[in-house]
Amino acid sequence: MTTIDPLQVALKVAASGLEVQSKRVRIVAENMANAQSTGNTPGAAPYTRKTISFETEIDQLTGANFVRVESIDFDSSPYPIEHDPGHPAADAKGYVRLPNVNILVEMADMREASRTYEANLQVIRQAREMISMTIDLLRSS
Amino acid sequence: MIDPLSPLAAGISSPKSAALQISNAVPHLKPGGARSTLVDFETVLGRLITDTVGALRTAEATAINGVLGRASVQEAVEAVLSAEQTLQAAIAIRDKVVAAYLELSRMAI
Repeated sequence: MTTIDPLQVALKVAASGLEVQSKRVRIVAENMANAQSTGNTPGAAPYTRKTISFETEIDQLTGANFVRVESIDFDSSPYPIEHDPGHPAADAKGYVRLPNVNILVEMADMREASRTYEANLQVIRQAREMISMTIDLLRSS
Repeated sequence: MIDPLSPLAAGISSPKSAALQISNAVPHLKPGGARSTLVDFETVLGRLITDTVGALRTAEATAINGVLGRASVQEAVEAVLSAEQTLQAAIAIRDKVVAAYLELSRMAI
């Protein structure tokens, strides 16, 4: 069905917003879950924080700007170091590298994803209401 | 008079012709009163019904995929809501058509 109805397009654009925000929550979940994941051999690298970035995508049919995930990368910031000689991942000097995940940053990111998701849901709700109101013109008269 | 309305159901069985002709959707009224029947109301209605059936089928398939975990919740919900709205539009138009029939049947002869 080739639809160029602006309200239908708005629904699809908002749906693409929902899609990328849910992927963002997935990345946040991975980072949170692995916030304590160290290696298990001496000197092994711990979990590296993942980052996600978005880009605009122009739809050929409608010319509308959708959003999609551009890439999922790794955070290159340094790992915090802790002195813990008894740890399986401790190096020769007894230092363990911990994941470069900051729980507070992840919480803030999750909150932002949630708010953006809500905003896109609100767009869908509004567009649907406008479509319904227009269809109702046929009924009431 | 009522004839153009009755092949409505035929539109479901021949969706291709309906879809092909829709690009010429402006009825051509010639000065002499002769009307070239490229696209008329019945074709538009037939296409609408075809679209509705198609949307419902897509929604059903996507919903099943969503339950099975093959499609995201967003996709499933979007397809179902879109089908619901298409159905609403189709029903509203059908009610109008039925009302037109009733109006004609009440006409004093």
